[in-house]
Amino acid sequence: MPLTRINIGPVHPSTHGVCRLVVDLDGDTVVKVEPHCGFLHRGVEKLVENRMFMQCPPYMEKLDYVAPMSVDELYVSTVEKALGVEVKEPAAYARLILLELQRLASHLFWFGATCNDLGQMFTGFMWGFRDRDIVLKLLEEATGQRMFYVNMRLGGLVRELPPDFAEHALSTMEYLEKRIPAYRNLVEKNPIFNERMKGVGKLSRSDAIDLGVAGPVLRASGVPYDVRKDVPYYAYSALNFRAKSASEGDNFARYMVRMMEMQESIRLVKEALRKMPEGSAMGMPIKLIIPKAKNRIAMVSRENPRGEEMMYLVADPEKAYRLSIRAPTFINLAALNRMAEGCRMADLFAIFSTLDLVMADVDR
Amino acid sequence: MKIERERLASKLAEMKKSGFAYLVKITAVDYIKSITILYFIRDIDAAKDEALEIELDPADLWVPTVMHIYPAADWYERELSEMFGVEIKGRKAERLLLEKWDGKSFPLRKSFAWNAPYEGM
Repeated sequence: MPLTRINIGPVHPSTHGVCRLVVDLDGDTVVKVEPHCGFLHRGVEKLVENRMFMQCPPYMEKLDYVAPMSVDELYVSTVEKALGVEVKEPAAYARLILLELQRLASHLFWFGATCNDLGQMFTGFMWGFRDRDIVLKLLEEATGQRMFYVNMRLGGLVRELPPDFAEHALSTMEYLEKRIPAYRNLVEKNPIFNERMKGVGKLSRSDAIDLGVAGPVLRASGVPYDVRKDVPYYAYSALNFRAKSASEGDNFARYMVRMMEMQESIRLVKEALRKMPEGSAMGMPIKLIIPKAKNRIAMVSRENPRGEEMMYLVADPEKAYRLSIRAPTFINLAALNRMAEGCRMADLFAIFSTLDLVMADVDR
Repeated sequence: MKIERERLASKLAEMKKSGFAYLVKITAVDYIKSITILYFIRDIDAAKDEALEIELDPADLWVPTVMHIYPAADWYERELSEMFGVEIKGRKAERLLLEKWDGKSFPLRKSFAWNAPYEGM
């Protein structure tokens, strides 16, 4: 039977941004899927070559707009490494707490969006988004913004965490701790959910390594690599952090890894709040210093909600000569074909959804 | 680790055998007089990273494909050829991945007139 070729997107509600998929079908079975990205390419790597270091964080935040804080922090850390700026312990703890809250917000967003993509699971969508908003409220309290915080500055933060932040964060974490079993209860007994998740979109361990996938997608295929554990930064090594992984490599494993990561984030935030040392988390006043790079080359990796993001910076004294960004979503999208081969057309979007893509990060 | 272009494929194959099975990223830096291509690889079980560096003359800008060693190189090599104009030997021409205009100007090269008016539409 001849293959049928159908076009999906570039603007389609389930592609979470501007992504076009060209799918070859044999009846209802996917033979090949070719993702077309690049519609959101705006040349961020080039733009930063013409701006001073600390003019760039707002550009960086628009890379991954679901978890802007993590990209912002990665960029500022890379610049800190080039300039030789040290982050003091209170600031490191404050950053860790904000990053884990950002991971929670991002994974809750993913949970909601995935429930929506699987069809007829609007309760999950509402729950995920409602609870994400509670986390965003906490981030707003700490930074003054709901999204696009621009809260990182050389050596620390733009503003101190407010005095009652710890108390609010703890009560939110206690609330969320009870919510996660409720989400699992909601979806895992649902036959539609199970049929579209279990055994669908398998990626074996050797394929995951060969294709270079990152983050929860890699960990769901039985590779427990997590930058927070393997190359610990800030206080992760002091907080007795445990990386979460699964071995099945299917949609359900990717779902489980993210659910376990949320629980781990809640635990980490609580522990970090308890152990946080006294002192100021403020960074350097930006207008008083003109930073000059000490190291020509700086490279930093971070475990962002979507996977390992890496920046390679070649520094001129006051601005980037070249900034290369390794986007986890770019390489995860490249692996879509391997996961979708042989699945039913209807399951293609279940797989797409568990990759947790942000197209602005793919295209840079 | 600096290496010559001719030895790249054999060196990467050897590194892969010794455990560096995960390709993190392929990228490049344009130093005007020369262009450096970087291959970041990782031994993912031991959490050990390694980088291979090739220095190229801009007039003779090509690298061999490493897709047969690391399938993950696929999109990185295409990005490299679109952004820097590096010819990837051993691969057939493919559609543009990120760059949606002419495919003949290379935005991440220092010679790219990035704020000049564009007249290709």
